[in-house]
Order: sequence, then structure tokens, then C-alpha cells
Amino acid sequence: MISSVDRIFALLFVADSPASTEALGASIGLTEGQTTEAIDLLRDRLDREGPLQLVELAGGYQLATKEELSECVSAFLKPQRQRLSKSLMEVLAIVAYRQPITSSEIEAIRGVQSDYGIRILQERRLIREVGRKHAPGRPSLFGTTQQFLHQFKLKDLDGLPKLDAGLAVSLPAVPES
Amino acid sequence: MPKWPKGTVCKTVIRRFESGRHLQSSLSIMAPRRQLAERPVTALGVIAPPPINIQSPAFEGSLAMLFQCVRDQRIDLLGVPLYPVCEAYFEYLLLSESPNLDEAAAALTALAYLLERKAWLLLPSPEPEPESAEPMQLPESSITDYDLAIGALLAWHAERSLMFFRSPGSGPSPYEFPYELESVSSQDLALAFERLLRRADSAIFEPPTRARRSLSEQIGIVLRAIDGTWRTLGELVTGRFSRADAVYWFLALLELIRVGQVSAKLDGDLVLFCRA
Repeated sequence: MISSVDRIFALLFVADSPASTEALGASIGLTEGQTTEAIDLLRDRLDREGPLQLVELAGGYQLATKEELSECVSAFLKPQRQRLSKSLMEVLAIVAYRQPITSSEIEAIRGVQSDYGIRILQERRLIREVGRKHAPGRPSLFGTTQQFLHQFKLKDLDGLPKLDAGLAVSLPAVPES
Repeated sequence: MPKWPKGTVCKTVIRRFESGRHLQSSLSIMAPRRQLAERPVTALGVIAPPPINIQSPAFEGSLAMLFQCVRDQRIDLLGVPLYPVCEAYFEYLLLSESPNLDEAAAALTALAYLLERKAWLLLPSPEPEPESAEPMQLPESSITDYDLAIGALLAWHAERSLMFFRSPGSGPSPYEFPYELESVSSQDLALAFERLLRRADSAIFEPPTRARRSLSEQIGIVLRAIDGTWRTLGELVTGRFSRADAVYWFLALLELIRVGQVSAKLDGDLVLFCRA
């Protein structure tokens, strides 16, 4: 008899993008509560043993290799380098916090032209056009994508560090990169 | 008035007697209305003007085409010198042994229209924009407010890069090279192209009507520039070049790689090329 935990494990094994609790539950006929319980059990099991871990990001769950295996996996996969320069990070951070935002508003914050950064971030699918502003010229509004959440291991946008009214940042302790 | 780049020639050529229309006898000059109606209708509405060809940085083509482009607001007339066109028109009138009055009138109409349009364009704007009493203050950059957030995002990105997920669309890459290129990937080539594009001079004017360059011509240029020394694309393309030049260079290099005449290798982040 295959348990619910194993079924969830199988679904997550074949998923190539984060799977939501609802989608997982609906696939094997479990309620949301039962699915969440099975996910928790699976997470505990994977944390204890094996090379995989269950990660909650971009609005769902996905299996990933454990950090301690990164060296051998990258030696095997030879992943393409996707560096994010300082200027790209500035544009990305502004879009993440102020979305939906126009390019001229981004430029007003940065004080420099940002067309290039916006284009590159769109090409990397970290930001996208989410609509048009009701203003003269109807400029494009930009927002972040699911890929952004995935690339920065964020469950959702609420996971971003909080900025208070004075834009003072209260951040969680982050490890040295 | 626009200033022409040094060495630019605004050449106006009358190609008389090129078509059979110019060989008509003078009897047909005063063509009856019915005959006129049967003649091909052109951009001017009735009769084609003489084929005065205009070559300028902003426009290259016939007078009729220029007329149509200006009328449809597809070209900036300020960039097209009209003086040599007028000269060519007078030359046409004076030198033609049997000038076709219909064509001459059509050309005159076109020229008059163009001159009037250009005159209006040259007039100062009746309502100049009000100038503010104080110079406009550029907003001060407030990006430093995001410094800590950027730091956090970078740290999370680094942390995330230690994890590996099942990639979408497992299987052979749709962009897989059909030939061996060692460690150079399509993305490396794309980055090399992007660096070259960033260096391109956007001020170089390229009229849309310019004759299309052939890739084989560009391949010849690349083969003359490339030798047995490993060099980056940026080192191969010297001097001022436009974005279109960059595209031609890159396409020619790709083709030469495909046919095995050029090799590519990776040196850190840079792609180096040399003669195979």
C-alpha cells in the first residue's frame, strides 16, 4: 500500500516547477489539511535522510538537492552563470518593492536611466510587464515574476524584507554569500 | 538645418530616356484627356514625374517616392536637401530635346509641394515652450534606501544557487549545437554578441532604403580580419560601427563556425575566436 506521503513524493519528483498544496491534493484526492500534513511528514523524512530536501518557494513546493551536495551537482550540470550586476539588482529591488512601477519611476529613484536593466531583467524573466498606467502615454507597469520568487527562494512577496514608512530596512540576518 | 556628415554627396541624377515613356514624340505632349486617363496613376495622382533619383543620408529613391513619403509623413523632410533636386529638375528641362510637359508639370507640382512643406518645417514654432524660472531639478537618487534589501536579495540568490531543481523540459536542449563547440554554449555566444552591441555607435545613421548587404560579403570581411590569433569579438571589430554592423559580424562568425572555418573557445567569461 503506497502512503499519501509517497504519493506526494512521486508528484514532487516529476514536477518541474513548484506545485501548490491544492494541485497536489487534487491529484491524489486529499483535502488541503491532509495534503499539508503529508507534506510536513515528507519534509521531515527528507531532512533526516537522503540527498533531497523539500523547499517551499514561488507559491508551492519543489524538490531540490541539499546545499551540501551543490559542489558535486554543479560539477556535473555545469550550470550557466547568471550574475546579477549592481545596477540590475537595484532595478530588481525597486520593482520588487514598488510594483507595479513604470520605468520613469524607477529612473526617478535610481537617478539614472534604467532601460537596459529593465530589458535584461525581462529577458531573464525576473520582471514582466503587468499592465499600463492610467497616465499620459499609458506607460508600461512592471512587476516581478514567479521566476523572481524562485530565483531568490521566496515563498511570496511578503517574504521580502520589510521597509517601514521612512524606508528604514529591518532585515533578517542573512548569511555571508 | 541638418548638417551633412563630411564626405556625403547629395547626388541627383536624371536618367533620361531610360523608359519608353521618354521616347514619346512631342505630339503626345498635349495628350487628350482620355489618353491621360489611361496613363498609369502614380503617387502624384495622375502622371509620373521624370525619374529624378535622390540620394541623401535621409532618403534614397525617386522624386515620386519622396513625395509620397513626405505626404504620408514617413520621412523627415528636413533631412533631404531640395536644392540639388531643383537643380536636376532645371537640368532636365534645359537638356531634354523633347520634354514631356505633363511629366515636367508633375515634377514641378511635386517640387512645389515639397518646398512648401519644408518651408513650414523651417519656420520657428509659433508657441515656444515656456521656460521655467528655475532650472529643472533632477530627482536625487534614493537607491541607497534599498541597499540592505539588495544585500538580502543577493544573499538569498547565492543561497538559492546551491540548490538544484528538476529543470523544465528535461531532454535535449532545443538550442543544442548540431556540431562540436567544446565548452562554448549558445549563451556564451549570445553574451559576446551583447557586449559587441553595447559598443555599437547608435549615432551612425543607416537609411532604411540602403541596399541590403549580403552575408557572403560580410563573411569576406570577417575572414580578412580573423587570423590564427585568439581574439574576442570586440577586438575583431575595430573602429566605429553600427548595431547593424554588429549583427552582420555576429551572423558571419556563426556561419563561419558552422562551416568549420572559425574556431571558438572560452577564456573565463569571454569567447575567443580564431581561424580554424
